Formats: sequence, structure tokens, C-alpha cells
Amino acid sequence: MSSPRTLLLALLFLIPSLPAHALDGDAILQQVDRKLNPESYEMYRKLINIEPDGRKKEYVLFTAKKGRDKMVALFLDPPSDKGRATLRLGDNMWLYIPSVGKPLRITSLQSVVGGVFNNADILNLDYSTEYKVEKAEQQGNNYLLDLKARTATVAYDRLKMRVDVPTLVPTEIEAYAASGLLIKTLHFKDPKDFGDGVRRPATMETDSPLYKGYKSMMLYAKIKARSFPDEVFTLDYLPRAGELR
Amino acid sequence: MFAARTRFLALCAALLATPVVGADEYNFDVGQFEKKAFEFGGYAELRAEHFRLDTDAALYQLNFFDREPITEYNAGIGALQLEGLYRQGISSFRFVGYGTYADDYSGSVSDARVYEAYLTLAPSDRATFDLGKKTLSWGKGYAFNPVGFVQRMKDPNDPELAREGYVIAGGNVIRSFEGPLKTVAFTALVVPTSDRVNEDFGPGDYANPAAKLTLLYLDTDIDLLVLGEGARSARYGFDFSRNLGTNIEIHGEWAHLTETTRPVVSATGMVTTVTQSANNYLLGARYLTENDLTAIVEYYYNGAGYSEDEARTFFQTIHNAYDAGNTALLERLRIAAQTALARPNSMQRYLYLRLSQKDPFDILYFTPALTVIANLDDGSSSVSPELLYTGVTNLELRLRVFFLTGGQLTDFGERQNDRRLELRARYYF
Repeated sequence: MSSPRTLLLALLFLIPSLPAHALDGDAILQQVDRKLNPESYEMYRKLINIEPDGRKKEYVLFTAKKGRDKMVALFLDPPSDKGRATLRLGDNMWLYIPSVGKPLRITSLQSVVGGVFNNADILNLDYSTEYKVEKAEQQGNNYLLDLKARTATVAYDRLKMRVDVPTLVPTEIEAYAASGLLIKTLHFKDPKDFGDGVRRPATMETDSPLYKGYKSMMLYAKIKARSFPDEVFTLDYLPRAGELR
Repeated sequence: MFAARTRFLALCAALLATPVVGADEYNFDVGQFEKKAFEFGGYAELRAEHFRLDTDAALYQLNFFDREPITEYNAGIGALQLEGLYRQGISSFRFVGYGTYADDYSGSVSDARVYEAYLTLAPSDRATFDLGKKTLSWGKGYAFNPVGFVQRMKDPNDPELAREGYVIAGGNVIRSFEGPLKTVAFTALVVPTSDRVNEDFGPGDYANPAAKLTLLYLDTDIDLLVLGEGARSARYGFDFSRNLGTNIEIHGEWAHLTETTRPVVSATGMVTTVTQSANNYLLGARYLTENDLTAIVEYYYNGAGYSEDEARTFFQTIHNAYDAGNTALLERLRIAAQTALARPNSMQRYLYLRLSQKDPFDILYFTPALTVIANLDDGSSSVSPELLYTGVTNLELRLRVFFLTGGQLTDFGERQNDRRLELRARYYF
């Protein structure tokens, strides 16, 4: 039988192989969300789809978000898409096309802009709303978070998120289908101070093995906290989304 | 005819020879997108069409019995849509105008219409009032809308095309809630008719009240809709729409129409009016595969439509009158046909299927599609493959062909054309 001193020595050997403290992944993810955006806000975005030969197509959107699951995105440019508006309420998504005159239900995996971005990328809620953290670890200056979709209606089944520890903003996210297929990788760049305590990457670049040679960028501007009445996130308000600005 | 075909091909080549956008830096000057009091936009469109006629078809014989017979023809169409919006305080004024100039074998014709011109007052985010000519779009169906009580019929071959509105006066209120019932919205309006206003909505001087109650309940869109008796018979119905997953949506509509009327032609050529109540409904789904193929399928039952026997009798009567050279009867039948019988999708059971493939062969913004509208009563159908390219900013190029198939005395088999080629270039500004 081992003596107490031997047991103590064995424990001392084991201690360095354990993490200094267990990471609370979900808490980190919530902090990441708040670093990226206020919970309710407005912002402008430019989406750029770049083809392998350098040709590109750009879209400009105004976005309004309230709480955990309400969002409207209105197309301001180009003229061929101007006036189109998308609404998200939880897992429900709609697209309003002025010539059609009524909102049509769309699904998260469709894309209203073509290219690498799909509807879930354009109408993205807080990560912590859609995902739970299954595994969190620290590697140097990065947290590595393995995220699993909370429901089957979320566009990507799993995310692997690399978070910069000092700033708590993501630097890279890999999005996977339920089959394990890598659908796309998001790269966050150009940290910028948007004011009111919002300091986050101003550029998100996306590539996908499904679109070899193609690249999509999202540029952010004028992110600021703003409160909205719930009624502006409804189908009947969607044709008037331009009045939100 | 050879010269006409050469001109058609030259126009096609000109439409396809479009410039390529060059690349520049990634910058975002958000200042140029500030909200403005006045907004203006629209599109200009050029369309080249080639029709191959079916000279044995009933509707060809009905339309050409008193004209020079032809077997094919070309048409060139120019269209311009102008849209404007002016904001002042809680009010705004929206205008949409649409004009066309068309040229074909019979000459040229131009047309200009005000699609929308209405004033909106929005005293709060929860309430609005509209007055003027406005296009309403009720129903969840993509190609058909049985509950579209206060709007013009869609063209199932172009469901996303803007349509002319009616003069209305109405209001809308919205309330949002927490819990399973997330939204309640109520719209009430009148569509006044007289011999000077909304005369094509229906005959007589009526207010034509209508209302729609919209609910978002348990993640399902639900509308309850009603149109009171007036220029049109009273009708009511409901629709719904719901996402079942990240890639599938289902929708449906049901409508009850009281005392609808339709002209029916007897074997002797007598035109009588049949009055009946009818139930119309639609069931549909939209599905996206892993390979980015979108399928839209809809089953449409038009209870107020023509039975197969009624349609066969109509077509046979035309053939008989044409063969006998009975121009007086053909003229009467032409008038009857204009009201209902020769309209698209006027029979009872239709299946709509549209398959569109996004970005095949790694060609971004290229969308080939196939649309099939099948008449389930007589087995005839319209099959239209199309190619759409939107890779050049603000320019949309679409090429499509219609193949109409069906036997004698069938819906699509008796249409005037059996082939149609269309090339459309639309530039937005």
C-alpha cells in the first residue's frame, strides 16, 4: 500500500497536465457576441462577391436587429435589388421583392445574393442564440470553441471558432454541415473602433471549397446601438423597411 | 420571313454582347447611401420573341379566321418601368408607371399605364393608411393565388412580374407579442367601382369592402381573407405558409367563391352563362437540395374553372365553325373567349413545377431553370426551359423557350402557338 507521501507526489505530477481553470465556453461565446454587436443595433454592410477572374458584384444592405432573434436586412444597392428586404424572426425567414408585392418564405440555406453567402450569413443572429459550446480550449492567444447547432433548423450544424483572447472577437470560423463537410471558412480582419464601445473586425472574408476560386467579403459600417418596436419586425412592415433608416 | 429572322438573330446577338464590369478597390463609402426624401428608379427592357403558330389549333383559327394566315412571326418589344417615392414627415407618395412599345407582323402598338400612385400616412410604426392606386398581393402561392380577391391575375409563366393595381382606400394595424402568437396584423380596405374607377374590377357602383387578418402563430404564417359582395361575388378563404426545415417550405390556399359566373359554349355555338359557387385551393412546396437545385411544386384546383367536357365542346365548336366558314359564329366565340375561355389556366386542375439550378458548373449568377405547367384534366402541358444570367451589375439576361404539347381539344394543344422563343434584356437604374 502506498504511503500518503507517495500519493501526494503522484497528485503533484498530475496537476500540470490539467488546465489551470476550466473554460466556460458559453460565457466566452456570449462575450464574443457582445463584442461583435450590441444586442439591438443598426448597421450598414457591403457584400462583395469576387469571381476567380477578378470580376465582382456588390450589394449594400441596411440592417436592423432587436434582441436575440429579430432582424431585418434591406437592400439599398444595386438598383436591380434595391427595395428587397429580408426578415428573420427566430428560425423563420422571408424575402420581400417589391415587384412581387408580398413577402415569400425563404430558407436559411438559400441565397438571395448568390455566391458564397447564404441567407443565414446575411441574417445572422447572435452565435450564442443558435449554438451551444461543446468544447472550449485555449491555445496561446486564442480560444478554440467547438459549437453545435441548438436546433436542426440552423444553417450550419457545427462551427469551429478561433477567438482572439485579448479582444474576444473571432478571427476565423469554419462552418460544417451535419455530414462533416466543410461548407465555408470566415476570416475576420481589419479591427476598427465603431464608437460606443464597439470595437470589432470591419471586414469578413469568406471562401468555400464548394466555390473554388470564388471569394466573398462583407464590409461593416455605422454599427450603433438602437432600440426598435417589435412591430417593425413583421411581414406587414417589410414593404416599409426603408422607413427604418 | 428570312429577313425577319435575320433581324431577330441580329437583335439576339446585340442583346448578348454586354460589357464586363472591371474590378476596383474594396471600399465602403456609406455616405452615398443616406436616406433621401426622393428616390427614383426602374428598368428598361428589350424583348425579342419568335412565335411558331399551330395553324390547326382552335385558338389560331379563332384569332386568324379573318386575317392573312401566317405560320410564324417575330415581335420586338421595348418596355420602361419608372418608380418614384417621395417622403414628407409621416406621409409618402409612391408611383410606378409602365410603358411598352411592341412591333410585330400586324404593326406596332404602344401602351402606358399607371401601375401604382398612392399616398401613405404612417402615424406610427403600428399603423398605416393608404389612398390611391396600389397593387395588393394576397396569397402564399408562387404561380397561382386562389385567395387573390383584390388583385389582377398572375401570369404563371412570369409570377414575379409587377402588376397593375386598383384604386383603394385602406388601413393596416400591426401588433407583436411574445409567445406562440407572435404577430397579429389587420388590413381593411375598399375597392370602389364605377364606370370611371376600377371598371375592370367588376360592373356596377360598389364599395367592395375587403379585409385580411394576418397571424404568425407557432412559426406558421396564417391569413384569413374576405371580399364582400359587390362588383364581384362575395368570397372568403385562408392561406398558410411554414418552413419545415432549413431547405423546405410548404404553403397552401383555400377560397370559397359564391355565385361565380362563366360563359359556356354549347355544341351548337350558343353561349350561356353558368352560375355556381366554387371552392378553389392550392397546395405547394419549395425545396432546396444539397446541390442548390430549387424545386417549386404547386397543385392548383380551380373549382370555378371549365370542365374537360366544356373545354372540348368549346374547341370543337371553333373547329366546326372554321371548317364551315361560319365567321359570324367565330366572331361570337371570339368575344366569349376574351372573357374567360381562352385565358391561361382557365380549366380545373393544374400542376406547376419549376426547377432552377443555382450557379451550375461554377458559373456564378447563372441560373438555368425548367418550368412545367401541366393540365391534369387533359394531360396537355407547357414546358419552358430558360437560362438566366445576372452576373453584370444591374443587367439581367434571360433566354427561354416554350413548348406547348397536347392532343386535339386539349388546353395547351389548342393554343395559338406551339413554340415560342423569347430573349429578354433588362437594365435596372
